[in-house]
Amino acid sequence: MNFELTEQQKVVRTSVRKFAEEVLGPNAPIVDKEAKFSWETKKELEKINAWGISIPEKYGGSGLDSICNSIVIEELARVCASTALTVTVHNSVAAYPIYKFGTEYQKEKFLVELATGKKLGAFSLSEANAGSDVSATETIATQDGDEFVVNGSKIYVTNGGVADISLVGAKYVSENNDKGFAILIMEKDMLGYEIGEPEDKMGMRGSSTTALYFDGVRVPKENILGSLREGFKVAMHSLDAGRIGIAAQALGIAQAAFEMSADYSLHRVQFGRPISKFQGVSFKIAEIATKIENARFLTYRAAWLRDQGKSFTKEAAMCKYYASMIGREVCQEALQIYGGYGYSKDLPLERFYRDVKITEIYEGTNEIMKAIISRQVLQNL
Amino acid sequence: MKIIILIKQVPAVHEIRINRTLGTVQREGFDAMINPDDEHALELGLSLKEKFGGEVYAVSMGPPQAEGALRECLAMGVDYAVLLSHHRFAMSDTLQTTFVLERAIRKLEPFDIVITGSKTLDSGTGHIPVQLSEALAIPLISQIYKMEIKNGFFIGERTYGHEYQSIKVKLPIIIRVDRGFNEVRFIPLLGIKQAFEKKIEIWNFDTFECPDEIDGCEKSPTKLLEVIDEKIIRKNVEIIGTNDEKAQKILDFIKKVHIQKIKSPLDLE
Repeated sequence: MNFELTEQQKVVRTSVRKFAEEVLGPNAPIVDKEAKFSWETKKELEKINAWGISIPEKYGGSGLDSICNSIVIEELARVCASTALTVTVHNSVAAYPIYKFGTEYQKEKFLVELATGKKLGAFSLSEANAGSDVSATETIATQDGDEFVVNGSKIYVTNGGVADISLVGAKYVSENNDKGFAILIMEKDMLGYEIGEPEDKMGMRGSSTTALYFDGVRVPKENILGSLREGFKVAMHSLDAGRIGIAAQALGIAQAAFEMSADYSLHRVQFGRPISKFQGVSFKIAEIATKIENARFLTYRAAWLRDQGKSFTKEAAMCKYYASMIGREVCQEALQIYGGYGYSKDLPLERFYRDVKITEIYEGTNEIMKAIISRQVLQNL
Repeated sequence: MKIIILIKQVPAVHEIRINRTLGTVQREGFDAMINPDDEHALELGLSLKEKFGGEVYAVSMGPPQAEGALRECLAMGVDYAVLLSHHRFAMSDTLQTTFVLERAIRKLEPFDIVITGSKTLDSGTGHIPVQLSEALAIPLISQIYKMEIKNGFFIGERTYGHEYQSIKVKLPIIIRVDRGFNEVRFIPLLGIKQAFEKKIEIWNFDTFECPDEIDGCEKSPTKLLEVIDEKIIRKNVEIIGTNDEKAQKILDFIKKVHIQKIKSPLDLE
C-alpha cells in the first residue's frame, strides 16, 4: 500500500495550483458577483489542456490517470469552484462517456473537439418531474427512419448555456415499438434545440446552468451513445465517474476554507493571544483537518479503483457523499472561526459556503448516494 | 536552431533552510522548484523554438533529485534534458560550476544560443553567465528588452546604464534574462504526461573526461565562512496630532536616527 502521490501527480498539483492562483484567482470573486461565465478563462484552460484530462492523446486529451483528474479539479475548486464545475462536468460526464461508450465515428466527430476544448460539453438528465428518479423521464425520442425525433425538456443543465455538445437522456420508442432509455448526443445548432434562461443560483454563479428545450429535434441514429438498450447503464456509469469529480470539487473548496481559517486563527488576537490558542478554535481546526484528509483518501481511492479498471460505484458514492458533507461542514466552521469577517462579502468564505452546498445535491443527492452505498454493502453480505 | 537553457532547482521560497555547518542551502526533504529567473530563460528558449524551429535542451547541475526540475522543463516543452550530477560536482562554487557547465555545453556543440537566468534564488551571485561567457569565449547579452534572430545574428535592444543600446551580434551567444523580460507559460497537462515518457540524460564526471581540476569540495576557491540570517526588526508607532505636529514628529524621529548613526563606532567622528 502506497499513500504517496507519484512524481507526475505532484507536478500536476503544483502546476495547476499555480495556474489556478494566477489565472482564476483574480476572476473568481467577479464571476461569482456578476454570475458570468468567463470565455477568457475557457481559453486559458484550453492552453493547459484541462478539457481532456484523462482522455487518451489519440483523441486530443492528455491521457492522465483519474487521480490526476481529481487533483486538477481539486486545485481549480480551491480557487474557483465555478470553473472546477464547468471543467469536471465537461470531462467526466460529457467527454468521458463518449470515450468509454462511443463508436469510433462518435469519437472522431465529437470527442476530439471536446478533449481539445474546441467545444464544450454538457450532460442532462434532470427534468421538472425527474431527478433522482430517472425512470420518470418525460423527454421522448421517437424513431423516424434513420433519425430520432426528440421532444421534451431538461432543467438545471450544468454548462447548458455554453455547451456545443450535450448528452441527453431520453425515453425512446423505436420503429419496431421497442421502448427503453437512451443517451443521445445532441448539438446546439440542431433545429429545435433551445437554450433556456440562465438559472439564478445560490452558488457556482460563474458556471452556466440553464434549461434545454427540444422541439422535434431530429437526431441521427448514429448519435445514440453506446447502443439503444444501454442508455441507463451509460448514464449510471458516467455518473459514477462524475461523482469522483464532485468529491474532488468539494474537497478543493474545503481545502481553501481550511487554509484561510487556520492561517487566520494564528494571527487573530483576542484576549491577548492568537485565537488558535483557544481550544474552542484549535479543536475546530483539528476536526476540519481530519475530515479533509479523510475525504481526500476516499476520493483518491475511488479514482485509483477506476484506474485499475475495478468497480468503483460504491466508492464513488462514498467519496461524493462524504466529501460534500464535510465540505459544507468545513466551510461552516471556517466561517465561524472568522466571525463577522467571514460573513462579509469582502472575503471569499461566504462564497465557499454558498458554492459547496450544491455538492451535496447534484450528480445524485447525498440521499441517493446513501441508497447506492447501502444497496452495495448489503448485497455483498 | 539549437538552444541550451541552464536551469537550477532551488528550494521553494517558503522552505529555505540553511545548513549552518556546511554553509549551504539545505535541500533534503523540502519542496523544490525551478529557479524563478530560469523560468524566464525557458520561456525565451521555447518561444524561439516556436518561431525558428530547432531543438531546446535544458541542462542542470545538481543532486539526483534535480531531475524533478528537469521533468518540469520537459513538461513545459523542452525537447531534451541533461542532468550533470556526480559527487565530484557537489559543493562547487561558481568557478567549479562554470568548469562543469562549460564542458557540458561543449559536448552539445554546435549550438546557437545558451540562455540563463540572472541569478539564483538560493545563492544569488549572478556569476555563472559572466564566467561562462569567458570560458566559452562567446558574447554575453544581458538587459535586453527586445530581440530577434536574423541570418545567424542576434539583433536587439538593451538598457545599458542610462542609455538604450541597439546591438547586433553573431551567434553563438549567451543570453541572460531577467524576471521582467517575458511572461512564463503555464505547464500544460499534456506536457506533464509526455514529460514522464521522456528520458533524462545523466552526465557525470566521466562523461566528459573531467580533468582533476574539477572537484567541488576540494578545489572551489570560494570558501563560505559564515551564514547569518538577515534580521529586520520593525515596530509600529502611532503618530497622533495635526498634520504639522505629525510632520514635526516624523522629522524629529529622522533626526534622532541620523544622530545615532553618526555616533556609530564606524564613523570617523
